[in-house]
Amino acid sequence: MAYTLELDRIRKSFDEFVAVDDLSFQIREGEIFGLLGPNGAGKTSSIRMMIGITLPDSGEIRIFGEPFSRRSLERVGYLPEERGLYKKMSIVDNLIFLGCLKGLTPAEAERRARHWLERMELAEWAGSKVEELSKGMQQKVQFVAAVLHEPGFMILDEPFSGLDPASSVVLKDALLDLKKQGKTILFSTHRMDTVERLCDSICLVNRGRSVLLGNLREVKASYGRSSVQLEYEGALPLLQDPTLVSGSNDFGNYVELRLAKGADPQRVLAEAMKTSTVRRFEVVEPSLEEIFIDTVEKTKVEKVVAVTHA
Amino acid sequence: MRNIWLILRREYLVRVRSKAFVLFTVLLPLLMGAAVLLPTKLAIHSSSTRRVTIVSSDATLAAAVRGELEEMRMSEDEDPSRKLKSTPSPDAKSKKPAFVVSVENTPNDALKERLTAELRDNKLDGFLWIAPDAMTSRKAVYYSRNGSDFVEASQVSRGLRFALSEQQLSARGVGTAEAKKLLGPVDVDTVKVDKSGSNKSNGMGAFFLPFALLMMIYVTVLTYGLYVMRSVIEEKSSRVVEVLLGSVTPFELMAGKILGVAAVGLTQISIWMVAATAMGAGAMAMVGDLMKDAHLDPAVKFLFPVYFLLGYLTYACLYAAIGAVVNSDEEAQQLQFPVTIPLIACMVVATSVIRDPNTSMAFWFSMFPLTSPIIMFVRATVSMPPVWQIVVSIALSLVTLYGLVWLTSRIYRVGILMYGKRPTLPEILKWIKYS
Repeated sequence: MAYTLELDRIRKSFDEFVAVDDLSFQIREGEIFGLLGPNGAGKTSSIRMMIGITLPDSGEIRIFGEPFSRRSLERVGYLPEERGLYKKMSIVDNLIFLGCLKGLTPAEAERRARHWLERMELAEWAGSKVEELSKGMQQKVQFVAAVLHEPGFMILDEPFSGLDPASSVVLKDALLDLKKQGKTILFSTHRMDTVERLCDSICLVNRGRSVLLGNLREVKASYGRSSVQLEYEGALPLLQDPTLVSGSNDFGNYVELRLAKGADPQRVLAEAMKTSTVRRFEVVEPSLEEIFIDTVEKTKVEKVVAVTHA
Repeated sequence: MRNIWLILRREYLVRVRSKAFVLFTVLLPLLMGAAVLLPTKLAIHSSSTRRVTIVSSDATLAAAVRGELEEMRMSEDEDPSRKLKSTPSPDAKSKKPAFVVSVENTPNDALKERLTAELRDNKLDGFLWIAPDAMTSRKAVYYSRNGSDFVEASQVSRGLRFALSEQQLSARGVGTAEAKKLLGPVDVDTVKVDKSGSNKSNGMGAFFLPFALLMMIYVTVLTYGLYVMRSVIEEKSSRVVEVLLGSVTPFELMAGKILGVAAVGLTQISIWMVAATAMGAGAMAMVGDLMKDAHLDPAVKFLFPVYFLLGYLTYACLYAAIGAVVNSDEEAQQLQFPVTIPLIACMVVATSVIRDPNTSMAFWFSMFPLTSPIIMFVRATVSMPPVWQIVVSIALSLVTLYGLVWLTSRIYRVGILMYGKRPTLPEILKWIKYS
């Protein structure tokens, strides 16, 4: 299996602050890969190294099977977390300029730009200045800039943030289309629902380290059917019972709970029925959000432990 | 290289197409011209003949003063540089007299009141009240509506001085004709001597032309340097920089930007030069005698773009680094001041450099890389310095530039990705070490 991107024990520090610590993962050709993590986990720092904006202190980055070189950047598309276009220039001029920087001729860049703007439902805005556009529209233009040169590998930092639902659908369809064409996509996000629906593999980073890595189905399966989704009316004192429940996310009339080790789901149902009306009861794989919160919490504890021992 | 070229081209096209560029191209020469011409033009009073009355109990003296004033012609003071020549030029007779003079021989309060009233009613432009003991005290009072018109006042006082002197000389037995000859003007022309020979030069032109060129190079270096800074801030605050860095290195970005703005500057200077050459004759006629004698070494034409580039590149690097460090124009204003100090210092010393381009202060300012592009150029416009000095100043400037590019590109490359709090100096120094 060919890998589009390989990170091998990369490390980056700014003075005493270690932004990325011993991070390794591979992205297979043609997959959608989710890079997850709380704020300040080191996602953007890692991405900046993949794109050559900064260099790792140690470790190796390979793109398309070769050690990183700036020449391979012509085959990489990049949507930074901090979006930016020249406000006083027209959309189409922005796209031509950015396309040329990726090696396209101006004519080819313009042709593709107009095609993509059509697809993003922005064709009539092509000649307008960027400052006249709404935030969501600018975001779509930014996405077009990242894919204009038909890169084999796309790095998208928070591509869905700030998009309305309709635009999100347009973008999601575009991503799936690109995947069908065999392109590899890495995106970072906090939005777990998107990840669950789109990603083949994930890497969860926290404090610069990889804390969870692998194929999304496998990751979820490894947690087993240890979660319960419960719709109810009334009260649920059982949530405080550590012999039954190890953690929960309560929304008032809907709760996701993790079963304590060895706890029987049937007993949870019986307890719940004693104090409330149960509308729905399902034993499921944990949602990615639960796994995310759970893992981040756990690594926090580990860190604290490590510190007290030190 | 391709990336630098693409960035250069974008920067260039966006700026050259802007309204600001067109305005600046047209307005700066106009402003420079106005700055040179206005003060001299303003000093010359209205072109109409002035009506004055001379009041003196001494009829002979009054008549003599009248004679002196009536000899003066408008042409004499249209060019202030010739103020001191009182010999009528060949065509003087065809020009309007400067004064129409009447004489009153009975100085008393009633007369004074009448003349004051006429003055107020615009029937008279001034009157000269000569004290009875004027022969010994050499004192008089000139009343006019506009007390600050020094040209008019000096003409009147000159008339009185000549008349008094003539009278006193004739009292000592010198004939009127002889006295006139004795009191005749001296004619001092300033002659500038340099390697290429001596050229007659005119004091005013020799000062104002270098001054205008000084302003040109100062304004262009400063303006274009600040363009670079603003462009960096714009890319940083609009976050375009992050997108660009997915394709280009920070160094390519900074180089493309600085060169692009330089190309805009050179375009503008070329337009000015072509226009100045094309308008040559017309421009000279407009400026009149003032510039006719101002002598410029032909090499100055080549030195202007050279020193513009050196000065601009030096400051553009510094301003690019400032732009990278700050988050907004407001923050930039505080930081840009220390960098601008050498430029301001140039303006402070420039006047004395133009008067005497060979002092040791002029020499050192024209060697110090942060001031040399401006001061050496100014020296060249006044009188061409020895070739070795020019070569050394350019070499020093280039070496400094090389160091500055190395230093500022390191600050730039880290700075453009840093948002939020403005870094302290130690932090910036630390950035230089990052890879």
